[in-house]
Amino acid sequence: MKTLVLIPAYNEGFKIGEVIEGVKATGFDVLVVDDGSIDQTAKISKASGADVLSHKINRGQGAAILTGLSYAKSNGYEIVVFFDADGQMQAQEIKKIIDPIASGEYDVVLGSRFLGSAKGIPLTKLFLLKLAILFTRLTTGLKLSDTHNGFQAWHISALDKINLTQDRQAYASELLAEIAENNIKYQEVPVTIKYTAYSKSKGQSIFNAFHIIFNLLIKR
Amino acid sequence: MPIQFILVIIIILAVLRLLYQLKNKNIGLSQFFMWLVIWLIAIVIIWQPKITTYLAALVGIGRGVDLAIYISIIVIFYLMFRLLIRIEKIEKDITKIVRSEALKNNKEHD
Repeated sequence: MKTLVLIPAYNEGFKIGEVIEGVKATGFDVLVVDDGSIDQTAKISKASGADVLSHKINRGQGAAILTGLSYAKSNGYEIVVFFDADGQMQAQEIKKIIDPIASGEYDVVLGSRFLGSAKGIPLTKLFLLKLAILFTRLTTGLKLSDTHNGFQAWHISALDKINLTQDRQAYASELLAEIAENNIKYQEVPVTIKYTAYSKSKGQSIFNAFHIIFNLLIKR
Repeated sequence: MPIQFILVIIIILAVLRLLYQLKNKNIGLSQFFMWLVIWLIAIVIIWQPKITTYLAALVGIGRGVDLAIYISIIVIFYLMFRLLIRIEKIEKDITKIVRSEALKNNKEHD
């Protein structure tokens, strides 16, 4: 099936070239949505062989994902893989994550670092994720082993069923809520997430968790 | 009392500003009258604070000042809620524009 690897990126010039080359080596098409970066993200991405869409100003990861989905739909892609720009994820695991969709058994595959491995995960992050898993279970009823894991694959028909409204980080919770609401068939697949000094510096700050919860409670 | 004069002068300035906004068409007539009524009520209350005591007694609150504070808080919360909704809508619209621009630029490159 025609597959697009979608990489939202905001000021990831340091790492993105390497990440795109890794994905390209697996043979999949790559789309980078440059979310208003002020560094060389767009230029490096193009040079590395990705298609690039550029937001003129920063609109958040959720907004960037939606832009990419719009592109995927109008270009006839059947599977969209969400992939991070900071080098935490392993390109060779993309095949593993789309297999359950390609075989027609599932519509969505969610990467799970707790079924797989989370190398070098900081303790505070681990604690917060466990809380978030509990939060997801309470709010959506989904019994997941991981949550807010950006490594996912979606069949385009499942994406048509859902409605995303969150521009910023809270979109990740929204995706899960939509899976639960629409009874979309999903499977969790073990993946490896490697935390490096760089990815940690780029990642979510702890306080953002409160921000996400606020967004979900007030704005949904 | 001097405080009454000071407050009334401030309100007169606010009304002048309001007139100016209307003249420059920054606000519509309905908005103008809404604010005008609010400021006029404020002037009446400043000169005759006893009115609030009377109104408070009517709705079962002890002091006029308390009634004024309750109403103010409700109005402020309501306005804040409306502002939040408004900002949210504007944010969404900005995202839509940014998105269509990004998709359009990509097509032009093809």
